[in-house]
Amino acid sequence: MEDTLFWSRLQFAFTITYHYLFPQLTMGLAWIIVYFKWRYLRTGDETFGNAARFWARIFGINFAVGVVTGIPMEFQFGTNWAGFTKFSGNLIGQTLAMEGMFAFFLESALIGAMVWGEKRLGPRNHFLTTVGVALGSWASGYFILVTNAFMQHPVGYSVAADGSLRLQSLAAYLLNPWALIMFLHNQCAAVVTGSFVVAAVGALYALRGKHPGQASLFLKTGTLVGLCACFLVATPTGDQQAKMVAKHQPVTLAAMEGRFHGGSNAELNVIGQPDEDQQRIDNPLYLPDALSILAFGHANSSVQGLDDFPKNEWPTNIELLYYAFHIMAGLGTLFILLMIIANIQRWRGRLEKSRGLLWALMLAFPFPYIATTAGWMTAELGRQPWLVFRLFRTSQGVSDVIGGGNVLFTLMGFTGLYFVLGVLYLFLIGREIAHGPQTISSTIKLEVSHD
Amino acid sequence: MIEIWYAILTFMLIMFVVLEGFDFGAGMLQYLVGKTEAERRLVIAAIGPLWTWHEVWLVGFGGTLMVSFPNVMASAFAGFYLAFFLLLWALVLRGVALEVSGQIAEPLWRTGWHVVFVAANILLAILIGTALGNIVRGVPLAANGKFALDFFTNFSPSGNVGILDWYTVSVAVFVIVIFAAHGATVLVLKTTGPVHDRSLRIASLLWKTILVLLAGITLESWHVRPELFSGMIHQPFGWLGLIAVAGGVAVIFTSLKNGRELSAVIGSGVFIAGLMTAGAAGVFPIMLHSTLAPENSLSAYQNAAAGNGLVIALVWWPLSLIFSVVYVAFIYRHYTGKVKPSEDIQTPY
Repeated sequence: MEDTLFWSRLQFAFTITYHYLFPQLTMGLAWIIVYFKWRYLRTGDETFGNAARFWARIFGINFAVGVVTGIPMEFQFGTNWAGFTKFSGNLIGQTLAMEGMFAFFLESALIGAMVWGEKRLGPRNHFLTTVGVALGSWASGYFILVTNAFMQHPVGYSVAADGSLRLQSLAAYLLNPWALIMFLHNQCAAVVTGSFVVAAVGALYALRGKHPGQASLFLKTGTLVGLCACFLVATPTGDQQAKMVAKHQPVTLAAMEGRFHGGSNAELNVIGQPDEDQQRIDNPLYLPDALSILAFGHANSSVQGLDDFPKNEWPTNIELLYYAFHIMAGLGTLFILLMIIANIQRWRGRLEKSRGLLWALMLAFPFPYIATTAGWMTAELGRQPWLVFRLFRTSQGVSDVIGGGNVLFTLMGFTGLYFVLGVLYLFLIGREIAHGPQTISSTIKLEVSHD
Repeated sequence: MIEIWYAILTFMLIMFVVLEGFDFGAGMLQYLVGKTEAERRLVIAAIGPLWTWHEVWLVGFGGTLMVSFPNVMASAFAGFYLAFFLLLWALVLRGVALEVSGQIAEPLWRTGWHVVFVAANILLAILIGTALGNIVRGVPLAANGKFALDFFTNFSPSGNVGILDWYTVSVAVFVIVIFAAHGATVLVLKTTGPVHDRSLRIASLLWKTILVLLAGITLESWHVRPELFSGMIHQPFGWLGLIAVAGGVAVIFTSLKNGRELSAVIGSGVFIAGLMTAGAAGVFPIMLHSTLAPENSLSAYQNAAAGNGLVIALVWWPLSLIFSVVYVAFIYRHYTGKVKPSEDIQTPY
């Protein structure tokens, strides 16, 4: 049982973390492509047309990997988390089914035509297709976040005679305040990923002196969108998310900050390692009173510490939670700095000449992925030891008919398969980027000569 | 209410099997109907840009099953643990092979991915066939409503059964042939030239084979699960299914002979939908039959989600279906008719 629980948690964590590397770029790029398509439709300028086609090809490859890695997620609720499915399937199934029926149906019907069907559909319908895919990908995100928000902050339910949960109010469930804030925070972070990737490709082309028109367009779009998104991730969405945690999951906030002892004038740790044995932060560097101000608005507000809660309600991995949260917040701050500098230089007309800054932009693209992953680890580790906060423990949710060895076996299968997928993805995306946004896609040219 | 949700689930599973069935079938036949690289690309183009839409019916089915019968989902998915992951991995490989084979015009790259594609499609047909066979035959449900299946035990379809036995294996073979015939029938509709002619020959041959196999499967099912047939004739949906099976067969044979390609595809879809409708009506209300003791079986009536969650879902579900039809109509009108080699085989679609 213990084995099954551990490997099932690791398998879900691994498959969802890997999966989410792809949808975040999908969601972030979607509206940037819509923007390029819209400018192309209005002006007929091929710079925008080629930019849209180039990013749509990247989007297509990214989307395919996102789809195939996404399907195992839903089914793991049944295979590995049968107890959880029994307990709350009537609620979380609603949004999982809605994601399929509203969002995936929209995306999947349009994606092929978006990537390959420009000639068949004509400019106006092809533009609409792009908008539809963007809407579908964001709707999909919303339904999944409602599901997660229910696990963080359950609302809209009642308890049936057999102890399982029943949907009481669809409106309350779908409009969970936690979901609304998490959605805005998460989507802004996805746009950060998308804009950093666009800026990085622009920086690469500028450094190599290739595709000058596209390089400028990508740098301009990437840094401008990136600046706005980086600010919005931090405030108001990140700030509100933290206040939500402070209000509804005080024990999680205490663990995120490594705050073992409660009290007023709580400090915000910038650097330092939580030490569970000694119940303190080793070699801390902190901002006095800042946590009290950020969480509750006053320097002398009291913030609870872990010792205010029974130990069996503490998050199970305090160190990892602490590091994940601080990596997310630290990277978010650095992103804002980078984007401010990039925008000042661009405004002065010097961005494309500052090689150092171009290098920084080119090498920065992996970090939003790390920040979003760390952010999700904060949310999910912070929820432990609960599957549904204060209603249902993670240990109650796992399937009890499968042995730990079976789960380790399937986890290893996923590891191998996803390794191959990752290599394939990087190869194909690298190829597209190396080829660049030209008038006719290389695939088409090559095939004509072969046939 | 419970009957409605059982019907909705059956409908979604039918949509998945009918739509993905022709993708799987056409994929399996890629090397039989396509002798040159261009012809094999034509098969991929005929599957078309909507394959992800077809696959979403499975995702929708999973979510809907969770809403309406969470206990059944919990029991069945955990019980079929390893088989489920084989299905998921095969779906991953099938999707990747379909998407990436067209990315590079290099013969080794193409051939490599086509081989993965054909193998994954065959594996998927086997797994889906086996799954359907298991639902009809039943699983070793214990009194606590749980089970864990081995891949095989003694190949006998009663008592402590495994996933594979002589009955489920024969259903798997039946389903491979049906998918192949269904896929060939769609290829007849969507292609021209040599691929069209080969597909027509394969379709005619396979549909005749299916008539023989259908008789065999009927006898086997009678032996394994006799109440399937008594259930069927007492349900109006059972009769509807049986009529659809007979009508589908008649339409397929007359249409293939007279070159009415679209009606052959419709007949093929109706035939599959009829078989599944009759089967679902026959086993109702038992969703998971126990081979150990009939009283352990999971019935729709005892395992439906209580409360008004099902009523609420009945409001949004039809709405989502209408939307979905609109999106597909928007796209599909650009993709009707035969696949044009000049336009379509350049790209994956």
